[in-house]
Amino acid sequence: MSNPDDPRASEPNDPEELRFEYTPSDEPRPEQETENPHAKDTTRVPEVIDALRTEFGEAVLNVERYANEDTVYVEKQRIQEICRFLKEEQDFTYFVDLGGIDRFTDEDRFEVFYNIVSVERQKRIRLKVRVDEDDMRVPSVTDIYRAANWNEREAYDMFGFEFVDHPDPRRMYMPEDFEYHPLRKEFPQLGVPGSLPLPPQTPDGELTMDPFAAAHGSQPVKSYDEPAVDQDSDSE
Amino acid sequence: MAEKPDFPGLDFGDRFRFWPKHNEKIYERLESKHAWLEEKQAAQGDGDLPVTEKAEMDPLENEMILNIGPQHPATHGVLRCVVKLDGETVEKSVLDIGYLHRGIEKLAEHKTYQEFMPYTDRMDYLAPYSNNVAWCLAVEKLAGIEVPERAQWIRMIMSELARISSHCLWLGVGMMDAGAVSGFLWTFQQREEIYAIMDEVAGARFTVSHSRIGGVANDLSARAIEMIEDFMDSFLDEVDGWETLLNRNRIWVERNKDVGRITKEEALELGVTGPNLRGSGVPYDVRRFEPYLKYDEVDFTIPVREEGDCLARYFLRLDEMKQSVRIINQCLDRMTEGPIRSDDAKEAYPSKEEVYYSMEGMIHDFMYTDVGTVPPKGAHSYHAIEGPKGELGFYLTSDGTGRPWRVRINSPSFTNLQAMEYIMEGSLVADTVIIIGSLDPVMGEADK
Repeated sequence: MSNPDDPRASEPNDPEELRFEYTPSDEPRPEQETENPHAKDTTRVPEVIDALRTEFGEAVLNVERYANEDTVYVEKQRIQEICRFLKEEQDFTYFVDLGGIDRFTDEDRFEVFYNIVSVERQKRIRLKVRVDEDDMRVPSVTDIYRAANWNEREAYDMFGFEFVDHPDPRRMYMPEDFEYHPLRKEFPQLGVPGSLPLPPQTPDGELTMDPFAAAHGSQPVKSYDEPAVDQDSDSE
Repeated sequence: MAEKPDFPGLDFGDRFRFWPKHNEKIYERLESKHAWLEEKQAAQGDGDLPVTEKAEMDPLENEMILNIGPQHPATHGVLRCVVKLDGETVEKSVLDIGYLHRGIEKLAEHKTYQEFMPYTDRMDYLAPYSNNVAWCLAVEKLAGIEVPERAQWIRMIMSELARISSHCLWLGVGMMDAGAVSGFLWTFQQREEIYAIMDEVAGARFTVSHSRIGGVANDLSARAIEMIEDFMDSFLDEVDGWETLLNRNRIWVERNKDVGRITKEEALELGVTGPNLRGSGVPYDVRRFEPYLKYDEVDFTIPVREEGDCLARYFLRLDEMKQSVRIINQCLDRMTEGPIRSDDAKEAYPSKEEVYYSMEGMIHDFMYTDVGTVPPKGAHSYHAIEGPKGELGFYLTSDGTGRPWRVRINSPSFTNLQAMEYIMEGSLVADTVIIIGSLDPVMGEADK
């Protein structure tokens, strides 16, 4: 694991100098369609991609394939039209999943993927849009697929996307008082101390501001009251 | 008009100092939300939604806001339903989840693929083996690892047992929600037998972690196979007994019939999954849709019902248990002898004999623990299985190291709960308990 060429290892104390080195889609990959023992036929959708190309032309940016799965990169601004086309013209009526990915790159840092199924045609398609850190707005597809509602809320909660025209833009898992987006790569695994007050450890105690106090180098809150020590009886 | 509850007579003092904004937003949402019925009527009519105003008349004071959960046994975990009642009818509902949120998607990014597997046990904790299999298959697809045949049969047997176990719990708890406590004990006797089998196979009763990337941890012993066969022989009789009790039981039928009904179109629109989707007449089952393991080689049917109410889901899950028995019997017949893990040191752990008695084995074991499976850089793939609750999928992205760059878990309970917010609207408040039981959410999975 510990690669000596890893640039992060050489400058451990400089959090400002975050290095961007991961760009998944720029990497040339071996074609694996036939070799992968788990490849499925359902995830190959050449006809649908052709239909999308004819209908939307330039808005279909790129098509990628790995393990026999087609991923269609589309323009962010036209995702609503594309979803509507898929639902109404191509029978992709069943919305399965939506989520974000933090690529941690300089440009187009985030990705949102859409996993949509056509039960009639036995096909599954994955759409992806790229989102830049400076403009986190993504058109919401809840008008077209009602099932995207909670998934979009979760993606907002975890990455901070702003889904335009979403009917219920609240956080999904974290409380509203929380100010961070935990699945972003710069968010520490143990959390930010003080960002999420938890109930007191004892009935009369203070709020627990940092559940991982020991890991952050401060004194953990005791979950019990220590019995008073009688100083005088200590005769030895 | 209903107001925010201020807990009359109870002064909690500053014990609710944390998360003040959170509750506020939930009640705001409840206030501004349009009920599903209103939306459907608006879609049929001129498309305009009625204006919700605070000045609605409620002279008889029928309306109230009720918090069900998060600490209520009928919510099957820590689900919180904030419902607005009009008399006994649920007018609108808002669900609040996240009380069991552990951030396992984040945790996964800091673990090797094999290290993460015990966390999957804790997602759908009623059927841990299914989750293990889902995770292993997803990683194997990402890295292109082929699994020996015997391991695939073992995984199939065990995940069908997990399905039976999960459905047993659903039935027992469902009966208890409807007021029949003894049924709970009967289904738990069957779960106990499955626990004993899991104990014999994996060494753990509950959180098994038996599947491994590239295979399974150890082979089924002769005793384990005997136990599974015995269980298969006796289980169908038990199901018959439950059917005798419930199928024509007036209380059970009247509590379940026409409750929580969703049509085929609504089910697809709301995105419900698993038995709930098939209970509404959509024949979507991942075992048929994109067969994994050996599901394309065994003979079984996918039960589908058209009614879409709680009673349909009850019949459907009982049928599913019987189909699981059928699958397991075929697996036991057709299982061949052979290796149970991939023989490549970069794909799976070596066996313990190799680790203890050869230098290479020990090095491989060390390296696999330290680095593990390394999928190609930039690879990303989605693999789903049909868990007991529905489609359980992992969408993995690799950055070419031994740790995943991003793990996205598509959990069926989350999807089903989202639909429940709508299904509950218009039902009686006493029926919400039946609906929660019938949709069968598990909060460990929904909250991730």
